[in-house]
Amino acid sequence: MSEGEHMSEMTNCGGDVAAYALDALEPAEAEAFRRHLEQCEICRDELEALQGTVGALPMAAPQHPLPKHVRRRVMRTIHQESRVARAQSRPAWRRSPLRPVVAAAGAALVLAGAVVAGVELSGTSSPSRVIHAQVIGASGAAELRVSGARGELIVHHLTPPPPGHIYEVWLKSGQAAPVPASVLFGVSASGDADVGLPRSLRGVSQVMVSPEPDGGTPAPTTKPVIVVQLT
Amino acid sequence: MRPLRSVRLARLQTAADEDLMELVRDGEARAFEVVFDRHAAAAFSLAYRICGSRARAEEVVQEAFLSLWRSGARYDRARGSVRAWILSVVHNRGIDALRRELAKEGRDIPDEQLAERRAAGEGTETLAERHDDARRVRSALTDLPPDQRRVIELAYFGGFTHSEIARMLELAPGTVKGRMRLGLTKLRLSLSAEGLVP
Repeated sequence: MSEGEHMSEMTNCGGDVAAYALDALEPAEAEAFRRHLEQCEICRDELEALQGTVGALPMAAPQHPLPKHVRRRVMRTIHQESRVARAQSRPAWRRSPLRPVVAAAGAALVLAGAVVAGVELSGTSSPSRVIHAQVIGASGAAELRVSGARGELIVHHLTPPPPGHIYEVWLKSGQAAPVPASVLFGVSASGDADVGLPRSLRGVSQVMVSPEPDGGTPAPTTKPVIVVQLT
Repeated sequence: MRPLRSVRLARLQTAADEDLMELVRDGEARAFEVVFDRHAAAAFSLAYRICGSRARAEEVVQEAFLSLWRSGARYDRARGSVRAWILSVVHNRGIDALRRELAKEGRDIPDEQLAERRAAGEGTETLAERHDDARRVRSALTDLPPDQRRVIELAYFGGFTHSEIARMLELAPGTVKGRMRLGLTKLRLSLSAEGLVP
C-alpha cells in the first residue's frame, strides 16, 4: 500500500467522494454521503471537481463507428412519432367542420380522461403519455412514460434498495401473478433512474417495482415500492 | 436559391446543442437528428465499452436516444452540457443492461476473468482517432498507476461498487476507495493541465 493510500484511509471526510462520483458506493453509503454533503463544503467542492473528471471518462472508450442501421431505426421512429404528435396537436377546429363544438367537447373529453385515468398528457407536442406511479414505503417519485406498447420508467430521488438488493420491475396482467419485466436497476447517487421496459405493455394492468436480492428473482419476494396502474 | 428546408437544416447544423434541445422539446425531429449525429458515435463507443457486445451496445444506444427524444423536456442546461447528459443516460442504460445480462447468467458477481475482459476495453475495429481530446483522455487514464486505473475502470465501465471490486481484487474496501480518489484526483490534474476539464 502506498503512502497516499494510507493517508486517504486515515482521512474520513472525503474518503467516499471519489467512489460517490463514480456511483460506486453501496446505496446506504451513498445516502449517508449525500447527507454529509449537505454540511461539508470541502466535500462538495471536491465532488464537483471529480464529477467533471468522471464526465470525461466516456472519451477514454475506444471509438467505434455507429452502425448505419441503428441510425436508420432511430430516425424512422422519431420522424413517425413527430408526425403523429403534430397531427395530434393540430387544433380540432382545423380538422372538423363543427369547429367550436368539437373543440370544446374534445378539450372536455381530454380533461375528463386525464382525471379519471390518472393520466397526465405530457404536452401537446409529446407522442407519449405519462402515468404517475404510487411510491409506497419509500421516498421519491416515479412515473411511467408510455408510447405505443412500450414503456419507460423514470424515478426521481428514490430511496436506494437495501444493501445486497436491486430494484426489479414486474408486469402484472389482470389476476395473474406478476412476471419479471427483465429489468433490474439501481438508482444514481441522487436517487434517479431511467429504464426502458423491453417487453410490450399490451394487456398489462400494473407495472410494479420491488427490491430484490442482487441478480433478481423469478417472482417478487418483497412488497412493491412502486405501483403504476395502467388500466 | 436553396429550398427553405435546406436553409433551415443548414442553420440547425450550426446551432448549439442547447438550442437544438429547445427545438427537440417542441417535437422538432430534425433538430434531434443533428444532436444524434453529433453524439451517437461517442454514445455507441461508450455502450460497446461497457457491454462488450456490439448487439447489446446497439440496443442500448437505440433505447437511450429514443428515451432522450421522448424526454427532451427534461434536459436542464443548468445541470451540464447536452453531451454529458446524453452520455450519462447511455452510461446508466449500459450498466443496467450489463446487470440484466449478469442476472440471466445467474451470477451475483461475475468472476474476475469476465470483469477483466470488460474492463480491458478490448477494441476491434477501433477508429482512427477523430478527436484529439479522446486520445488525450485515454492517454491520461493510461498514465495512471495500474492499480488506480483498474478500480476506476471497473467502477465506471463495469458498474461495480467499491465492495464488489474489493472482493474481486481481494483488497480492503477502504483501499479501493482510496485508489479511486487518488486516481481520479491525478486524472483531474492531468486533464486540467490539458485544458479538458476546469
